[in-house]
Formats: sequence, structure tokens, C-alpha cells
Amino acid sequence: MSRTSILGPPMSYVDGPRRIFGTLVDIAILATELAANGGGQLIRNLMDRTKLSPAKIYGLSNTADEMLGMELLAKKTEQYEVEKLTSILPHPRLVSAVCGFAKDANLYPSYSRGKYGEDAWFKASTAAADALGVADGVGGWRMYGIDPGQFSTFLMRSCERLVLAPNFDAQRPDLLIARAYCDLMEQKHPVLGSSTACILTLRREDSMLYAANIGDSGFMVVRNGAIVCRSAEQQHFFNTPFQLSGPPPGQGMYVLTDGPECADTIQFACMVGDVLLLATDGVYDNVPDDLLIRVLNEVSGVSDAVQLQMSANCIALMARTLSFNPDYDSPFSQNARKQNIESPGGKPDDITVILASVI
Amino acid sequence: MSMLAYAESATSSSSDTEPDAQVDFTTMLVQRQRGCESGSKLHTTDADQEQQEQDQGYYLEQYVLGVLDFSSQYGIDYSISYTASNVIGRPTKFPAYGDYPETFTMRTYGDWWQRAPSATRDIQPQNMPPIDTHDYIVVYFEEFVVPTEVAIFETFNPGAVVRIWAYSMTKHWHCLWEATAKDLNYLCHDSRRFAPPLKKTSIITKTLRIEFNHSNLNYYTEIDAIMLCGRTVSHRRIQNLLGKARAHSQTQISLAASALGSSSTALAVGHGPISCKLRSLKFQPICRSDNNADADPVTGACKKFINDFINNDLSQFLLDNRLANEMVEQQQQQQLQEMQLTPANVHAQAAARRICLTDLPFEILLKILSYLDLQSLFRVGQVSRIFYDISTHPLLYVEINLKPYWQLANSELLCTLARRATILRKLDLSWCGGFGDVSPTEFKKFLTQRGDNLTHLRLNSCKFLNASCIETVGIVCDNLNELSLRNCATDPPLLNFSCLVNLKNLERLDLFQTAFETELLLSMLEGNRKLKHLNLAFCGVSVNMDNVAAHLANYNTQLVSLDMWKAHFLTARGLQSLSHCHQLEELDLGWCLREASLGDGLYQLLVNCPKLRKLFLSAVRGTTEHDLRHIAQLGKNLEQLDLMGILNITHERVYDILIHCPKLQLLDLSFCENIMDRDFDILADWSRLFKVNIKSSRIYDPR
Repeated sequence: MSRTSILGPPMSYVDGPRRIFGTLVDIAILATELAANGGGQLIRNLMDRTKLSPAKIYGLSNTADEMLGMELLAKKTEQYEVEKLTSILPHPRLVSAVCGFAKDANLYPSYSRGKYGEDAWFKASTAAADALGVADGVGGWRMYGIDPGQFSTFLMRSCERLVLAPNFDAQRPDLLIARAYCDLMEQKHPVLGSSTACILTLRREDSMLYAANIGDSGFMVVRNGAIVCRSAEQQHFFNTPFQLSGPPPGQGMYVLTDGPECADTIQFACMVGDVLLLATDGVYDNVPDDLLIRVLNEVSGVSDAVQLQMSANCIALMARTLSFNPDYDSPFSQNARKQNIESPGGKPDDITVILASVI
Repeated sequence: MSMLAYAESATSSSSDTEPDAQVDFTTMLVQRQRGCESGSKLHTTDADQEQQEQDQGYYLEQYVLGVLDFSSQYGIDYSISYTASNVIGRPTKFPAYGDYPETFTMRTYGDWWQRAPSATRDIQPQNMPPIDTHDYIVVYFEEFVVPTEVAIFETFNPGAVVRIWAYSMTKHWHCLWEATAKDLNYLCHDSRRFAPPLKKTSIITKTLRIEFNHSNLNYYTEIDAIMLCGRTVSHRRIQNLLGKARAHSQTQISLAASALGSSSTALAVGHGPISCKLRSLKFQPICRSDNNADADPVTGACKKFINDFINNDLSQFLLDNRLANEMVEQQQQQQLQEMQLTPANVHAQAAARRICLTDLPFEILLKILSYLDLQSLFRVGQVSRIFYDISTHPLLYVEINLKPYWQLANSELLCTLARRATILRKLDLSWCGGFGDVSPTEFKKFLTQRGDNLTHLRLNSCKFLNASCIETVGIVCDNLNELSLRNCATDPPLLNFSCLVNLKNLERLDLFQTAFETELLLSMLEGNRKLKHLNLAFCGVSVNMDNVAAHLANYNTQLVSLDMWKAHFLTARGLQSLSHCHQLEELDLGWCLREASLGDGLYQLLVNCPKLRKLFLSAVRGTTEHDLRHIAQLGKNLEQLDLMGILNITHERVYDILIHCPKLQLLDLSFCENIMDRDFDILADWSRLFKVNIKSSRIYDPR
């Protein structure tokens, strides 16, 4: 791929107002607009309804996304609302932003929600927990005429629905993966392919972070400029991660299949001010840790979704730029060298970044 | 007000001196009038008006908050595809039409299941309503409302809803809407928001039960969401009503014996004992707290109630009662005239004038009454002593089916039936006892009294069943031929069925959607060599189906039908052992055999089981072109064939099967990817040519 097309059409995404932005400038403009007009109006409406002090409102929700949620809430009776607000206040929650790029923009010319090429992601929140997830479809399936993005996308959609289902248990993200995988097997229309998966849940009640990971996608938690928690890569051998798979009929024995029970689980006590990065290997293979930490450290304690979005875009752009740089000694090529494999430069891949700050 | 209370107050007043009682009576009347006046004055004040407005509540539309109960679903519990929980919340797919996993789908459609070898006959069929119910779902909402509209969002094959029930605060089920035959014939290939005109009602509810009838469906129906609209009710009014309901229920204490006839609020007039009469009359007992500080409030209220009654309503009551009796007699005579095949009308009328119905021989009357459904039977018993004697004859209670009366069944009814049904053979208590109306103790008592002769027992979706109930079944009912225990997996999660090993004569065992242990099932299979029909659909992941199949091959070679729908851990080895059951006519392997290859298991099966009439291989993805050839060559007797979701099917193979299976009636080719859009026209042609119903559903807008 030539240097000129490195940036491609960037596809980033602010979740609140559903729009696709052409450039980062657009995002910045929208952010100021939101703050100046819509946001202010929303806050004023909210204040009228709830009769709460402005400080409380601002402290509670500064993002457009959250305020839209509150707007819906405000339709209920006042009594209920105040109770609800006070019950949420002491507990931490996640503000998150997502950005990403498909490796080959020609294959995926249009944006569809929750997908960057063969990568897929979801975020969902309930009264008890926030949940985030990424999945990286294994590209090798394209050779067999199977869309590699299908499996990962379906897995994430199932996860999202399961999180919103009434019996969701925030302490068991591994169960979430297992149930989503089983749900995949229950489709009349067979879902073929394979994918890695990493899911994070923040349980508000005890501010515990629960994670389940299969394969080489992963997350890291940065606090005060240091990584305090991160997931381990699961690989069979170099560049071949553990993966959930739905093999085509008759091919079962030739396909790597790691059941959902292979998932690594991690528990971690979160604190306000922690920053979470959940990303696919397209990021970790190209951006060194110290760069990531520097960006993540800047958004510690930030509750403004727009600012968070900028940082997410920044990471995604960094990964994208570095991945197409043939002279760059990427983490991927360093690891390759350890395996006696010569693979200089960045590693072009689909990139998905979910950045979240605990507030 | 109970009869007991009535008696007490009567004795107390008789012990008093007569004049005192008189005075008491008049003062009470005066007080009551004053109360009315002051009440009307209060209404005019502003504060009260405000209260009144609040009481009226506001209009509310709400979606389902949770699912309480359902009879069947297509999906399996741990997944969220095609399961009942998909009706929760707003519609996710609604304006779209197609076969979506995000909706609630039930297990069956059409009449194919009734045409299969495993079909069962209804017990006491005269009880069945004209439009039968096949499936139901019970859902609840957040707020109590007085329902004005119920909207059901159907996204695939609409038209299966036949009844909408609401559970009122007074703990009764009210039918809000019932379909006619015309509604059932709705055939349309578009999604619809179905909001039938509800009966005008003032009941307060947040729980709905939707009932379905699939007989006219072309394919599975899918429900996306259910909306309940209505006016909310203030807390004060709810309290008020609950108070009234409590007083109301006091009047019902003595009704136990005539439970069936009286507890049905749907009955226009209860022709029963006085207490029943009191309830059906139009006046409401006003039990205001008494101003008399010295008088005991309860007896005071009772006295007042009786006085009110005597003053205002006694004459009306007598009038009603007599009229009602006359009506019943007229009905009886009409019935008689219809049933007697007299040559001429004149003769019949003359005869009817001369001879009384009761002059007929006992046996004839018994025969006539044997055509009556249970509810009518109980009503007839209230006509006269003679009819009571006939209607309680044990011969009329050889078969009892309470499934159509699920909303009326309670412990008292069971108690009454236990007295009458001394030679009970077949019992169907399916769907009964949903909200604690039937106590497990009462059920066990019933079984120990009448269970030893039972040959058929159906306890599908009985929420009252606990481990000790099942134990009683195992100990007492040792003559059972048929045992049906669908949907009893909820609480406790794994039922203790060990006593069921005592059963040695089973021919049909239905454990649809019920959790059990492999060991127990194996020993049951060993004990019941005559087993013909076995249903293990949705049996959960704890059962090793290969072992079950091996046991079936060893001990139950008489097996005619076997349903293993969505059973995990069945492999090609299990399939091979199934081929030892040479009598197999029906085999449902839908969603089994997740392993990639079937080996020659299917070939063996087809060779060894030539009688096979129904074969379901839904989503058995390992089915190869070879297997399909075998089906065409060997499936001479196949009537129903389900190949849903199999990738390798080409239209050549389909044609092959159509040509070689002359008896084929149903062929499901939904989600078969290789049959492209252009082939659907060909399929339609073949469907006409071979007179086979070919199904080809799919998601209409692929993601």
C-alpha cells in the first residue's frame, strides 16, 4: 500500500450523536457546538426537571451521551428520579470512546456500527454494570470464501444483547463469552469463521473490574502513569492466537478451536481516575507501551467524552500510521525476531480502540 | 362474609333482648345515612377533587418487564436466540418481517405435530374450547393499569394469538379478548402490530397471559414485543380495592365445594348455594369501620351487612334466584330435546309436557351427562338433588382434564374431585396451579387417594410440583402408561425423580424441557421395556445422549418415536445405536450431532428403520450430499423431513428426494444457503407438482 493512502478515509465515531466524521476537525467543531448549544440546553432542561443544583448535574454527567440517558430518565416521576440519581452518584462508572480503522478500506468502504473491518466491538451499560468488548475476526477465512468479520461481529452483538438481558452477571465476563458463543451455535443461519475476544465489565457496586480474554486482543489499566493491570496474550504459536471458532461442516478437525472455557479471567479493584484501554492486536503490535501510557495518562479522570474521543482517535491514528511504516521497528517485529522470524516494519491490521476512564 | 360469621351474629342477637337489637339496627341506619351525606359534602371540597384527579391516574404505555412462565420456546435457555425472554422490552425488529433470532418463537407450527406418530389424544375432549390453546406465555409489566389496549408485535407469520388474559389484583384471571375462527384464518406475509378490541373492563392488572393456537400457521410465528396500555391507578385506590377484595374473599370461604361453578367470574349467574348467590348479586358490602366505639367492629360490620342485605336486596335476591332456577330447568329441557331423537316435534313437546326429565332411566341420564364438559357437569349438579346424584357418579369422572380450566383449578376443586373420581384413570392437570392456587400437599393427598389406578398422568408446566410430589407419583401411580412432565425444571433446578424408577409399565414418557439426571433416565429406560414414545427435547447439557441411545438400543427396541431436539452430546456413535430400534417411525434430531461428521450413522438408521415417517435433521450441519442421497433412496415412507440450515443441499438433491419419497408432505429447506434466490421459484413449482409443503424461510435482510 502506498504512502499516500496511509490515512485512508478515517472512520471514527462518537457514540452519542450518531454521526460519522470525516476528519478530526469535524469532531472538534462538534464538541464545541455540543458544549455551547445542545449540551447546555440539555443540562438546563435536566435542571428544570430534577430541581438539582448545577454542580450536582455537572458533576454527574458532562457528556452528551450521558445527558441523553438522563433526559429519558427525567420523564419518570421526580421522586423516583432523585432516588435514582443519588443511588448512582457514589458508584464509579465508565465514560468511553471508540475509534478504529479497517486495514483495507476498499474491502469495507462504508461504516457500519460496531465494526472496523474484521474487528468488532460493543459497549453496553446497565444499572449494575458497564461492559465493553472487542473481538478480532481471524482473517484466514477469506481464503475459504467466508467473511472473517461475520463471526466477530455476531459474537459482539450477542454479548451486547446478553448484557442487556435481565440475568446478566457482571462478575462473570467469561460466562458472557461462553453464552455468546453458544448463542452463535444456536443460529439457524450458520455463523462460520473464528475470532479472539476480550470483554471487560465494571461492576458499580464494588467498583471491581472483571475481564475475560481469549487470544491476543487485550486490555490495560493505567494509573498514575503506570500499567497496573493488563491481560496476557494467549497464543498457540507466533501470530496464531487462541480463538473461538465455528468451523464449516466437515472441517472441524482441521480448524483450531479453543472453547470459551479457555478464557483467562482477571479481577481488579478499580479506582476513580484509572484509564482503561481495550484494543485489538492491531494496536498492541504497532504502538509501544510507553507511547500508549503517555496518551492514557493524559485522560486520567476525564469525564468529557469528546476529549476522550480525541485521545482514542490519537491512539488509533498512531497505530494506523505506524502499521504502514516499513522502517519502523514495531513491537510485532521485535517479537518476531525473538522467534527467529524476520518481519520488519509495522504490521498492517484492523485497528479497534476503546478508551474508557473511570469516574 | 362467611356463613360462620352470619351464624355468630345471629346467635348473639338472639341472646340480646329484642328491643335493644331493634334500637341498634335503627341507629345504624341513621349513621349510615349520615356517613353518606358527609361523604357527599366532602366530595365538593377542592382538596378532595384534587385527590380524585390523582386517583384517575394517567395513560401509560409499557413494554414487558419480565417473563413469568411459558409453555415452549424454540431456543434453548442459555442462549438468547428464539427464547421467551426476547419479548422483554421494546420491539427490536418490529417493522421488519422475517425469521429473526431476536424474537420469541414457539416450538411448533401448523398441524404437523398432530399428524406425527407421537401425537397424543386429548383427555376428556369435550372440555376443550372451540379454539384450542397450544402454547402460552405469561409476562408482567412495571405498573398496575386498567388495560385499554394490548398490542402484540408479530414479526413472522402473524395470526396465532387466540386469547389475552389479565391477572387482576383480586387474583383472578380475566379474559380480555378471545379470537373467533375468522381471526385464526389471518394469513399475511407482513409484520403486524396486533391490538384486538378488548372487552370493557375495570380490572387492575400488570400481568398478562397470551395464548396461541398454531394450527393455521404456515411456519413458526415470532413475537417481538408485547405492549400494555392503560390508565394507571393511584396507591390509595389500590389499597382501597385490596381492602374490598379482602372483604370479598371473606364471603367466599364457604364456597369450597362448588369451586368450579362459583369461582369462575366469567359465569353470568352462579346457580349455587346462597353464599354463591350473594356474591353474584350486584350490591357490594360496604364495610366501613364502625363509629360505635363499644361495639366489636367485626360483628358490627357483619350486622350492618346483613341488615343492608335484608333491607335492600333480599327481594331482588329471591327474584333472581327463582328466575335463575327456572332458566336452568328450561336449559335442561332444551338440552334434552336436542339430544332425544324423537320423530316429530309435536310429539316431543307433548312428551316433554307429560314426562319429567328425571323420569328417564338412570343410565340414559348418565349417558346424556357424559357428553357434558366439566363446568356444565358441576352446574347440572346444582339443579336438584337427583341431578346432583347423577352428576357426581364416578363413571363421569374416569377421565379428568383440567387443562382448559387452568385458571379455575385450585386445592378445593381437587378435593371435590377426589371425592367424586373414585375410579379415575386419566388425569391432565397441565398448566394448573400457576399462582399458588394448588398446594402440593393437596395434590399429594389427591394422588394417594385416587392415583393407584391412574394410567395417564399429564403434569405439563405445573408450577406447584416439587420433589415430594414427583416422589408421590413414583410411589403411588405404579400403573402409569403415560407420564408427561414437561417444563418442570424451574424450582428446584434438578428434580429428584429417583422414585420414578418404580414405574414399570410406561409406554410414553415426556420430559420436554425438564432437567433430570442421566443415571435415573437410564434406569427408567431399563425398567420400562414397553416404552414406545420418548421425548427428551431440551433436556439440558447434563445428559449424555450417547449413553441414552445405547440404552434405548439395548432395552427399548419397541420405541416408535424419539425426540432429542437440542440435545447435546449426541454423536455419530449414538446415532448408530439408534438404528437398533427397528420400529422407529419418528426421529427428531434437530440441533443434535454438532460434531462435523455423521459417518454412516444415517445410512444405518435408514436401512434398519424402514418405517420411519418423520425425520428432523434441523441444523445437523454435518449432513453431507451422500446422506441426502441415502434419504432419497431409503426413505420410502417419509412424510415429514426437516433439513433446515444444512449447507450442502443443492436443488438436484431436493428434486431427488421429492421424486423418491412419494409420501412426503412436509419438507423444510429454510436457511439452506446453497438454494439461491432463483431456486425459490423452482421450489414453489415443485411444491405444487409433488403436493409437498416446502418451507423456505430466511432472514429477509441479511446483515
